[in-house]
Amino acid sequence: MVQIVVPSFLAAQADGRRRFEVQAETVGEALRALPVADLLFNERGEWSRYLNVFVDGRDAREQGGPACPLAGAHEVLIIAMLAGG
Amino acid sequence: MAFGVLALVGTRKGLFLLRGDDDRRDWRVEGPLLDGWGVYHATVDPRDGRFYAAANHVVYGPTVQRSADGGKTWERSKKIGLPAWSGLTVNAVWHIEPGLPQQPGTLYLGADPGVLFRSDDAGETWEPDRGILEHPARDRWFPGAGGLCCDSIQLDPGDPQRMYVCIASAGTLRSDDGGQTWLPVNKNVAADYLPDPYPEIGQCVHKLLLHPARPERLWQQNHFGVYRSDNRGDSWERLDGNGLPTSFGYPIMIDPKDPDKAFVIPERSPEYHYSPNGRLAVYRTRDGGRTWDEMSDGLPRQAWAAVLREASASDADSLYFGTQSGSFFGLADGDIWVEAARHLPPVLSVEVTQWSR
Repeated sequence: MVQIVVPSFLAAQADGRRRFEVQAETVGEALRALPVADLLFNERGEWSRYLNVFVDGRDAREQGGPACPLAGAHEVLIIAMLAGG
Repeated sequence: MAFGVLALVGTRKGLFLLRGDDDRRDWRVEGPLLDGWGVYHATVDPRDGRFYAAANHVVYGPTVQRSADGGKTWERSKKIGLPAWSGLTVNAVWHIEPGLPQQPGTLYLGADPGVLFRSDDAGETWEPDRGILEHPARDRWFPGAGGLCCDSIQLDPGDPQRMYVCIASAGTLRSDDGGQTWLPVNKNVAADYLPDPYPEIGQCVHKLLLHPARPERLWQQNHFGVYRSDNRGDSWERLDGNGLPTSFGYPIMIDPKDPDKAFVIPERSPEYHYSPNGRLAVYRTRDGGRTWDEMSDGLPRQAWAAVLREASASDADSLYFGTQSGSFFGLADGDIWVEAARHLPPVLSVEVTQWSR
């Protein structure tokens, strides 16, 4: 099982829950198991370019994106783009 | 039981509910609901009182939010998407139009890139209209600064097969067969940015409204002028040469009791999206667009305001609009504008309904 932590905005779309435990082999599979999966992917199954996903502190994009393996992983952290101005 | 006005005010950072007394002078602000969502349009389904919001987020994309309890709780539609063969993806959702009374559970959704969806299960799922998606002139449509948005959807109350959509910049399209095929209806409507200024297709309609008591009459505020059609869009008459300070603007309002009345909020020009001469005003015609007079009592003496295409509404008693600078105005008796709220996030949309207390 891996623990997924979502930002507060997504938690507000999931009855206030910030942490989810799922059984999955890849990051894509794990995110699709979330009740907010529709907000993470477009209809082609692509991630929003403003969405960052870290697996035990390492950027999932650099490890295959949705195909990033989760074997031995403990935590998947979803972070939305940071913006200022 | 006393009645008042409930305004659903969509903003760049959520939905606000403004409750006005029956004289529209005292208002109460609730919100934000859907905190953080850009609410391009929110409406109340008059058939069952449900709220619907076309909500967009820069990270999390477009969705439709639905509430059956007056905005206390919300539920998202299932993923809204376009088929892979189209090569298109949904960029933003723009406008939700409840179906006719004899079509329970049916709603329409306009979206970017120039697409129309239909739901027959009260917004749980949405299917693209194939006639729009596969329109033979689609390769001649092009997006404006707001994208290839489908922002006006009007249904003919006398004929459930007839409906209109506007896409910027494709122009107005009419269907007489329930959305299977769509005919461009843009005769005499200017598109001054094109080599042919009066093309069959390619106009930039900012807002189109059908008069419910005379459904063959349509009004539109266009990128280039204000127009009226008395023949379901077969031809249009331009109306902004007599009394309007400019021909440019976004919203248009009508009086549901009087087909000859319409209201616009001019802006300086396509290059300068703010009130002409620093003077925010609504302009009214009472004679089908032949003449216009200014309605500005109660509005700021100086304002460089911008009012977006969805950011106005009307009912049998009054008019309402919100500005990008976060003010919301309602018209009280005596044609006096009352600033019901200020310092809201930029206002994207306004719809009104009655509420009882």
